Amino acid sequence: MSEVRRKPVAKNADKKAQEKQSTGASLQKIGSRKRLSAWGAHHQLVAAETLLRLLKNPLASLLTWMVVAIALTLPGALWMALDNMQQFSGRFQESGRISVYLQPGTDVVQGRELAQRIDRLPGVAETEFIDADSALDDFRANSGLEAALDFLPENPLPSVILVEPPLQLPHAELMKLVGQLNNYQLVDTVQMDMAWLERLQAILDLSERLIWVLGILLALAILLVVGNTIRLAIAARVDEIRVVKLVGGTDAWVRRPFLYTGLWYGMVGGLLAWLLLIICWALLQGPVAQLAELYGSGFTLKPLSAGAAMILLLAAMILGWLGAWWSVSRHLGEIEP
Amino acid sequence: MTQGNSNVMVRFDRVSKRYPGGKEALSGVSFDLHRGEFAFLTGHSGAGKSTLLKLMMLMERASRGQVFVDGLNLNRLRPSQVPYLRRKVGVVFQNHQLLFDRSVYDNVALPLQIAGYSPADAGRRVRAALDSVGLLGMEKRNPIELSGGEQQRVGIARAVVNKPPLLLADEPTGNLDPELSAEIMNLFMRFQQVGVSVLIATHDIALVERLGHRRLILDHGQLHEGDVIAGGQYV
Ligand SMILES: Nc1ncnc2c1ncn2[C@@H]1O[C@H](COP(=O)(O)OP(=O)(O)O)[C@@H](O)[C@H]1O
Ligand SMILES: [Mg+2]
Repeated sequence: MSEVRRKPVAKNADKKAQEKQSTGASLQKIGSRKRLSAWGAHHQLVAAETLLRLLKNPLASLLTWMVVAIALTLPGALWMALDNMQQFSGRFQESGRISVYLQPGTDVVQGRELAQRIDRLPGVAETEFIDADSALDDFRANSGLEAALDFLPENPLPSVILVEPPLQLPHAELMKLVGQLNNYQLVDTVQMDMAWLERLQAILDLSERLIWVLGILLALAILLVVGNTIRLAIAARVDEIRVVKLVGGTDAWVRRPFLYTGLWYGMVGGLLAWLLLIICWALLQGPVAQLAELYGSGFTLKPLSAGAAMILLLAAMILGWLGAWWSVSRHLGEIEP
Repeated sequence: MTQGNSNVMVRFDRVSKRYPGGKEALSGVSFDLHRGEFAFLTGHSGAGKSTLLKLMMLMERASRGQVFVDGLNLNRLRPSQVPYLRRKVGVVFQNHQLLFDRSVYDNVALPLQIAGYSPADAGRRVRAALDSVGLLGMEKRNPIELSGGEQQRVGIARAVVNKPPLLLADEPTGNLDPELSAEIMNLFMRFQQVGVSVLIATHDIALVERLGHRRLILDHGQLHEGDVIAGGQYV
């Protein structure tokens, strides 16, 4: 019955639409654009309102801000340290050198020949052969132990080939080269001046893993603390939520202020973390420079890079937002008019 | 069923409601409320008046039967559509549910803000709504400073500001003296005159009889039309 009734109306509407197509279309457009701009305006309004609400009463939010800030500062400081150590290890990579000690009693001709063969290997930039006698002369000249050496019945030093790999040779290639060198019959031991560097690399790898583990744990802490703060904010506004739902507020509308609040908690916490990191850097920079100077190095502590700082802030805002989302989705459903 | 009939604002079709673990609050209730119609819903305390109103807002869902509001089958309404149903229905409660952390103006403007009106449009409509309940000068006041009757009228302004086709009220005069009650009822009747369907739950029998409109009478969850039962024996 309603079908029958509707049809002529629809036909009429069609005709009208044809007649006034242009006007109708533009009216429609203005309508939806108006709606969209109202939606955008509400976002702006809520963003500003929630931020003002937080800033107006900073003491109430201070605890949350500080927890977020500290939770971000810890991995941030580690990140800064790691960045610096990588810069440090990069500098030393350049002076990597391999000492190939030959069997005792290897004569000079054999040694020179081996040095030339090694020189032709891929992954070798330069070799230098030092026979046992000149090694002893060197030692005598530099060590000041002349008298003691005279007591020895024979030369205690082996001949040695110094092998210089090219700059920035990948670690795996370097290890392959060492294996090759070890395989020569004349070779007694192969010593890398970079054994310590390898350890440093291992420490760096470990630190990176540590930052991840710590970062994930502290991210969880941020989720929990923001989530709990938002839970309290929801509890304080139960009446308002009921009324809003009663007069037709959608879930998105009800959620919006809480999500923005979470975002602001993350942002303010992130900015405070920047401040803490700058303070850390300022406190450590002097002593580190002093220590480096004692080791004859011009090393200086760099602050966290701008890119890393932005990532930290962004992560903080996303975590704050997620914490709010988690809390809101758990508690908002329970509040019905 | 002819639920598409554009003349029907609300249709209850053999609706029952049983609360979890409770007895039946409504049993087999059927009635139509037409567009622009005004009706009272009366009955003893616990008869099911509030439950009936809540079903129309989907604050509760029917256990059996079907409820239609403005052609919408509420049984089939998805949760995401509920807010849009509620924008079509203005409600006034005895505990007026005003927010005391904001002005009268902001209380009344809330439904418009939610529906996405621009501040200028909203301003015009809020003032019109406040004017219609006689509170035009009180926009900036906090509702907590107002008398009970004035607060109730702010609640009514909020319920009608979005021009909903259906207006529901649950004991809107519960706390008010007879004079104020009559004033509030007059207000509701004026909305009916501009085409709004109005359903008012009340146990103020004297007032209802004096005003003489259609009466729906609930008795232990069962509905009777007032004009069928002479002498109001179910009251
Ligand atoms: N949320 C609820 N849970 C359980 N029982 C309820 C609930 N709300 C109302 N009731 C019961 O349903 C019946 C009808 O209540 P109600 O609709 O509030 O009546 P009225 O508004 O006419 O006084 C009463 O027996 C009441 O105890
Ligand atoms: Mg009731």
